[in-house]
Amino acid sequence: MGLWLDSIVPVAANWISHAHSDHSRGGHGRILASPETIRFLRLREDEQILAGSVIEPMECDAPVSLPSGAVITAKPAAHITGARQLLVEFGGERLLYTGDIKLQKPLLGAETEIVPCDHLIIESTFGLPVYRFLTCEQAAERIVRFARECLSEGSIPVFLGYPLGRGQEIVYTLCRAGIPTAVHGAIARLIPAHEESGYQFCGWEPYDAANMPGKAHVVTPGFRNTLEASGKPVRIAYVSGWAAVDNARARSGAEELIPYSDHAGFQELLDIVDGSGARRVDVVHGYTETFARILRERRNIDARAAMVGVHVEDD
Amino acid sequence: MDALAEACERVASHAGRLAKVAALAEYFRTLESDEDLRRAVQFLLGRPAAMAPAVSNLFETVEAPKLALGYAVIRDALRAASGWDDETLRVCHREVGDGGETVGLIMAPFTAGEPMSLERAEQLYLQLHAMRRADARVRMMTEIFRTYRPLTLKYFIKAIGNSFRIGLQEKMVEEAVAAATGKSAAAVRAANNRLGDLAAVAIAARHDQLDSIEARLFHPMDFMLAKPLEDGAAPPEGVEWYVEEKYDGVRAQAHCDHGAVAIFSRGMEDVSKSYPELVSALGRVPGSAILDGEILAWRDGRALSFTMLQQRLARKKLTEAMQVSIPVVFMGYDVLYRDGGLTLDQTLEERRAMLEAAVNDAASDRVLLSPQAKLADVAEIPARYEAARENGNEGLLLKRAGSLYEPGKRGGAWLKVKRAFATLDVVITAAEQGHGKRATVLSDYTFAVRSGDQYLNIGKAYSGLTDAEIREMTKVLRDIAIGRYSRVLLVKPQQVLEVGFDGIQKSPRHKSGYALRFPRILRWRTDKRAEDCDTIERVQELYQSSLNLTPNRVGDDA
Ligand SMILES: [Zn+2]
Repeated sequence: MGLWLDSIVPVAANWISHAHSDHSRGGHGRILASPETIRFLRLREDEQILAGSVIEPMECDAPVSLPSGAVITAKPAAHITGARQLLVEFGGERLLYTGDIKLQKPLLGAETEIVPCDHLIIESTFGLPVYRFLTCEQAAERIVRFARECLSEGSIPVFLGYPLGRGQEIVYTLCRAGIPTAVHGAIARLIPAHEESGYQFCGWEPYDAANMPGKAHVVTPGFRNTLEASGKPVRIAYVSGWAAVDNARARSGAEELIPYSDHAGFQELLDIVDGSGARRVDVVHGYTETFARILRERRNIDARAAMVGVHVEDD
Repeated sequence: MDALAEACERVASHAGRLAKVAALAEYFRTLESDEDLRRAVQFLLGRPAAMAPAVSNLFETVEAPKLALGYAVIRDALRAASGWDDETLRVCHREVGDGGETVGLIMAPFTAGEPMSLERAEQLYLQLHAMRRADARVRMMTEIFRTYRPLTLKYFIKAIGNSFRIGLQEKMVEEAVAAATGKSAAAVRAANNRLGDLAAVAIAARHDQLDSIEARLFHPMDFMLAKPLEDGAAPPEGVEWYVEEKYDGVRAQAHCDHGAVAIFSRGMEDVSKSYPELVSALGRVPGSAILDGEILAWRDGRALSFTMLQQRLARKKLTEAMQVSIPVVFMGYDVLYRDGGLTLDQTLEERRAMLEAAVNDAASDRVLLSPQAKLADVAEIPARYEAARENGNEGLLLKRAGSLYEPGKRGGAWLKVKRAFATLDVVITAAEQGHGKRATVLSDYTFAVRSGDQYLNIGKAYSGLTDAEIREMTKVLRDIAIGRYSRVLLVKPQQVLEVGFDGIQKSPRHKSGYALRFPRILRWRTDKRAEDCDTIERVQELYQSSLNLTPNRVGDDA
């Protein structure tokens, strides 16, 4: 029917589920996405994604008819601000594409609506039974506790987070707890766009190398080396789904692991599948083979691993 | 055990050594009973079911319990307790990289979450140990998995695996004991050197009785170690050195007490059972003594190759025929204890005199004295080295005049002189993830030599590259991967390594028909292509020439 889902190569018409770069590339004839996603895409520095495309913002629960006769409807997805699932109804069949998704309440952004469907396309970034994450309340408590502990002993707490989503969630949490917070580069740049969605970020300031003590720092993972090399007494926390296993210490260089993700843990994925009632499931991203096999063997669902473009770790 | 597991998590979550020690000390302070302090220290050192080492003499042998559970038991129990299939568990274990952690994560939704005291943990370890049948162990382990808290299970299993992998060395546990009891780290360390039992030292420290700790016979102490002297380098000047030949056997510590004898290995294991003739010969040492030495296969006044000794050790049951065909001796190096007192703080010369007297008094052709001479000039070293090799020994051991015996140290008062047998340029054909810190990188490499246009595997090595090189190598190898077999990634033969090794043997284990002894990576030869690597013909030559020499070995080194 001519609508592509999160295509990373140019196509005539493309649905962009959310603004992470492994789901959104430019050069399409038409782009359909939520208004917030479009706002984030406009701010992207690496690529003029929207240039030359017809932009069609889609509100939640407002069906749009395509020339083919299919009807598409955006549904809320908990992942990052602006993330949406897409329901496609055609010839009496309901197909649901989750995009990146979690089931637990996020610190920022919408909560997931479970949508009944016949055919589900779901991600499996963390599709192994070892992956289980903190709730947003638990994660917020751990973030605040680590920051206060470091500040009270005179060291500088540093949180590693990706520039869109995780970074702002950490800043938002620290600001609400009244902890002085400095924010680095790309994360800071995307805070105003989150404020347009109605979240208040008060009291943070831009990162200043000459003035670090007494403040929590939120930076992208690539900036860790610079801070460590500064010779300042930094202690590093990694807030990520990958932090659910200890070897994340070696991978990230962090000492404190806070297992909180904007993706679903294993049980959440199962709950989404069960709630959808889908008889057929395509699994994309991550542990696709294992998760599809588990669905076949334990749910008796026609499930298979599906190939998508390059998977970039955006947890 | 629950609190110990939580303390271990806190230790793991601190990067700094001081913070790790402080977190552990804080936990030790919460332990009210001496018994719990003992258990906690033992578990932390990965000795969950360790008890006093056995005493052996001519009339009885008591085996020291040691808990060894294969991964198969843990996997079978995990399958039964969680309901997950082997393939899912395999993928999970691969991603997590640690057995105990995998158990904790997998069981989290299924356990009853009951508390486990340290006392209970010890009972469970001892019960598991006492079980002979694998299926009984699996049943019991399944029940354990279903019952206790996930975090506790994680460390319960890690303790069996001998290592918690939380960046904690025995030295840091000593420091934590010191901090928790208000003693100096040096005093705790010294007491532990004397006693070789940190759990007992911790209790003594708490009761202010560190000074009363005396070395106890039949508790193995750490061995003093020799620092390698680089090929061709001279030892530091301005001091005098004694020189001995460096033997290629099994380093051992003999505890003798008026006829009762126990022999311990470097791994602190009681190995007396393997050497009944030495137990009997050492029983003739008068009074009491702890002797440091080397066990060697020996005939006609010289050491037989280490391979001979290995053949004897490989047998499940030591037969009398084997004792006759491969006789052994205890070659005395040093003395650590004599007639009621430690001799560590006496000089090398004083200890040597005591050792000579003890060996002479034993008057046995199975208890020998390592010949020692004063080194008049460092220029003698090459000739002495050649002579040692001629005698079938590994190289030389230099001991600094006037030095003390420092258990567990590789401080430079002893130096070993030896050289790599040869080096080969080899090409990597497969790679595997390591463990612990190296679980996410490819750090173990299988390598091959060239035979025409084919590459034949000859060995495997996992040490020698820096962490940065390993990360870089991981990227390169993933790009040239051609397949996967379980944990093993097969790669195009492209990357060349220079490996050093200590000998060549024939071996059916590798395609080439040869195996290298103690291969280690010397360099990553980015300047060489696969076609430039060494050939099977070169390996055959090296093997032929090695037949004329006694094999050299980097062993459980002096
Ligand atoms: Zn995403």
